Amino acid sequence: MTFRIFFLMFVLSLGFPMFSFSGIIPKNIFHVTDSFTGKNNSEINRRFKMILWAIIAGTRGGVNRAKILNLIKNNPLNANKIATELNLDHKTVAHHVKILSKNKLIIKAEKNYGAEYQLTQIMTENQNVLEEIMEKIGTK
Amino acid sequence: MIDFMLAAVVSAFLNIVLLLIVIGTYVQNMRVIRSYYTSGLVLVAVLLMIQNIVIVLFWSTLYMDDKALMMSADMVSHYLFAINVIQSIGLSVLVWITRR
Repeated sequence: MTFRIFFLMFVLSLGFPMFSFSGIIPKNIFHVTDSFTGKNNSEINRRFKMILWAIIAGTRGGVNRAKILNLIKNNPLNANKIATELNLDHKTVAHHVKILSKNKLIIKAEKNYGAEYQLTQIMTENQNVLEEIMEKIGTK
Repeated sequence: MIDFMLAAVVSAFLNIVLLLIVIGTYVQNMRVIRSYYTSGLVLVAVLLMIQNIVIVLFWSTLYMDDKALMMSADMVSHYLFAINVIQSIGLSVLVWITRR
């Protein structure tokens, strides 16, 4: 009996292959499309990709949220102008902008009422994810 | 004494209603954005819906017809009730996130 325990400890000390989840799950499980290549921190980018997909594809009015992000991508606009550009109701846009701000995707350039919205740092860094989604919207 | 089986079935009906709301939103999104993500969401929601339909069918057919089964099912019905109520809470949160 004692011998058995010593033998087991010996085997374990040799670096017996322990069970690990990371070993059985393929590393590129979420990289279904090839168009997404993380720049420096692929772990954060992969998670961000999932969050963006969830906000756009998993909620009501997510398509309009994607359109808002795509619109203010290059030129920051205030809520009123976004509504005019996208031909949406002002209250709808105000709601979407609130949700997008809460999820740290866009940020007000200044603090005042009619301030322009622009993409946050992490959203700017991961614009390729947005482009990927916009392509899918474009093709229907 | 609460009839846990009946309570569980009421909860299952509630789950079906919640899942219908979620599936409605997901299908609307899938029609615009065709991707593995949107189809996956619909598939998951549909499978959960089938689960709840099976519970309702079990209650309305097997459970009602078979007295012996009714007795043994009543002995564990509080577990089914707990499972369904927890699922209802989870789905309510999902509906809230999805519809806001």
